[in-house]
Amino acid sequence: MENFTNETIDITQLPKFEAVTFTKLHPSYWMINLIQIGIAFALVNLGYAVIVLNSAEVASHQVPIGLGIFAFFLLVVFFSRIAFKKKGFAFRQHDVLFRHGIIATNTLVIPYNRIQHVALHEGVFSRIYSLAKIEIFTAGGSASDIEIPGIEKQQAENIKQLLMGKIQKEL
Amino acid sequence: MEQFRSPQRQSSIGILVLFFDTLRQYFRALWPILVVWFFKYNHGEFLYVVLGIVLIVVLVGVVAYLKYINFTFYLDPDKEEFIIHEGIWNKTRTTIQLHKIQQVNITQSLVQRLIGVYALNVDTAGSSDKEGHIKAISHELALELKSKLLHNERKKLAITPDSNEHTSNQAEPNHPFISISFLSLVKMGITSNYVRSFSLLLLFFFTIIDYADKLLNVNLWENEGIENYVDTQRLVRSIFVIVLILFGIVIALNLSRMIIKYFDYKITRQKGSLLLSFGLLNTKSTIIKPEKVQITSVSQNYFQKKMDILQLKIKQAAHNEKEERKTGIEIPGCNQQEKEAIFNLLFQKIPQKGFRLKPNYRKLGFAVFLTIVLPLLGYFFFRNNIPTFNKQYDYIAGIYVIFVGLVQYFKFRNSRLFIHDDFIILQSGAWDISHEIIEPSKIQAITTSQLFWHKSIDVGSLILHTAGGNIAFQLGNFTTIKSYVNLWLYELERSDSNWM
Repeated sequence: MENFTNETIDITQLPKFEAVTFTKLHPSYWMINLIQIGIAFALVNLGYAVIVLNSAEVASHQVPIGLGIFAFFLLVVFFSRIAFKKKGFAFRQHDVLFRHGIIATNTLVIPYNRIQHVALHEGVFSRIYSLAKIEIFTAGGSASDIEIPGIEKQQAENIKQLLMGKIQKEL
Repeated sequence: MEQFRSPQRQSSIGILVLFFDTLRQYFRALWPILVVWFFKYNHGEFLYVVLGIVLIVVLVGVVAYLKYINFTFYLDPDKEEFIIHEGIWNKTRTTIQLHKIQQVNITQSLVQRLIGVYALNVDTAGSSDKEGHIKAISHELALELKSKLLHNERKKLAITPDSNEHTSNQAEPNHPFISISFLSLVKMGITSNYVRSFSLLLLFFFTIIDYADKLLNVNLWENEGIENYVDTQRLVRSIFVIVLILFGIVIALNLSRMIIKYFDYKITRQKGSLLLSFGLLNTKSTIIKPEKVQITSVSQNYFQKKMDILQLKIKQAAHNEKEERKTGIEIPGCNQQEKEAIFNLLFQKIPQKGFRLKPNYRKLGFAVFLTIVLPLLGYFFFRNNIPTFNKQYDYIAGIYVIFVGLVQYFKFRNSRLFIHDDFIILQSGAWDISHEIIEPSKIQAITTSQLFWHKSIDVGSLILHTAGGNIAFQLGNFTTIKSYVNLWLYELERSDSNWM
């Protein structure tokens, strides 16, 4: 009890979460995004081709509709690029930060002592580039979970170890 | 333990309870068929109907009897277990270890009250679905079984350190410290849930008109003479009467729902947690553990304020996503004093409103754009492009704009975030004004969010995630929000505060 002090906290002197520099996702993750969009594009075009071959009415407008699909996918690529650029993460001494969003900038902060468990996820395409996704879960439901994609496998493994260590220590 | 050593059945009169229980179960499963059958009912078949009813009663009676015969319970003193056997075809054997029993509740529903038997529920520390539930047992037997279940050797050892507090609480378990009177429920019933019931009724009303339109080929809209300007006065009067009738039905529905659901609401204190029991037809009981409480919300509207009643809603930490929606526990019809008593138990003090954060006027602008401007644009699009469009709908559009405009204005005016050292309170709502209270230590994670065009005017949003749901405040001063986020994070990370 003799070590106990209770001084007024100077709010302006507290560490600022908004001043943290974020680490960007691995550049190869953008390639994975492109592959995924490309596959979706190919599937849609395949379906469209089947419709064109079977319906004379659609076939007579096939060029404008085709251009429309193309424009739509260009938009998807554009927004994915923004989303990719915006995503970033940071590990501080006591919490993990994740920034994401397209028109909004969302910053999610989870203190280490609120983490329930940590998982590592490798997708099919991620494995080609040896990337992994870290999933951090809290008791606050799906809205407060962090999923950081596009981290090098080895680094992700290290981060997971670090987080596990932090959770262990908190317990 | 002698008395409960051999397997025994419930009170024999309890067959009646099982009978009504089974009847209700079947009715719940079969009511759509019954409704169809009722509408197709032919007046010549009176005999068949009587036969059918007799058959159903006999059938349910037999099932109830079999349920009664197959339900036995006993205590195994050597293994220290309470064992229940049940089921006609599928036999279930539930074994509860005595030292795991947390709570034994004796309750009585309306049917049980009429027959004079009690229900006994056994709560364990484990999952919620594997509990012991005896439906019909006499009062003396119930009390005896309860004491046998709660006092066993291993438990006694575990409890000794704080036995003083324990015995003093156990001595008066049947004295609720809050019981909500019938009058409070009536007050609550006539003053709450207007919007929900009214919209349901409106939907019902329009469906009926639609049906009448299709089936009978009468257009009720035209028959009511909306076009007939001479009859305006009569029309206004009939609309007034319809609204009055609708309003009456809404109130009656709310009232009966409130009374059926919350009749005889009792709150008892037990070992620092709150034990709630309520219900007219079947008595429900729940436990609130203060350390598990995440969000406490108080809601009150203008009339309720005048009558000094309010509604409390308590959200506890959910074990999984499925359970999440069910964990809100409502306490209707408290007054100011009772609210403070409950708060004292939950927080050890009365929540205070601290620093007040207001939303930017853009919040109102955006809400008006979404709920008024966009629908109006759509309306005028149809109005100008469809030649047969009935211009009478302009009145409805006008009423809509005024009504929604008022709602949005009051929503904006009531939207506040109060930040105190020990409490964060979110105020919201247009008519029913609610205060959602959380303690900063219950925060699991924090999201801040800002649209890129709001950067220059320093406006942004905040979401606080807790294990009982989220608290969101939109478009406040972002610098202030950020400084509080830093403070909360500091508080959370500095100590290992307990959130559950």
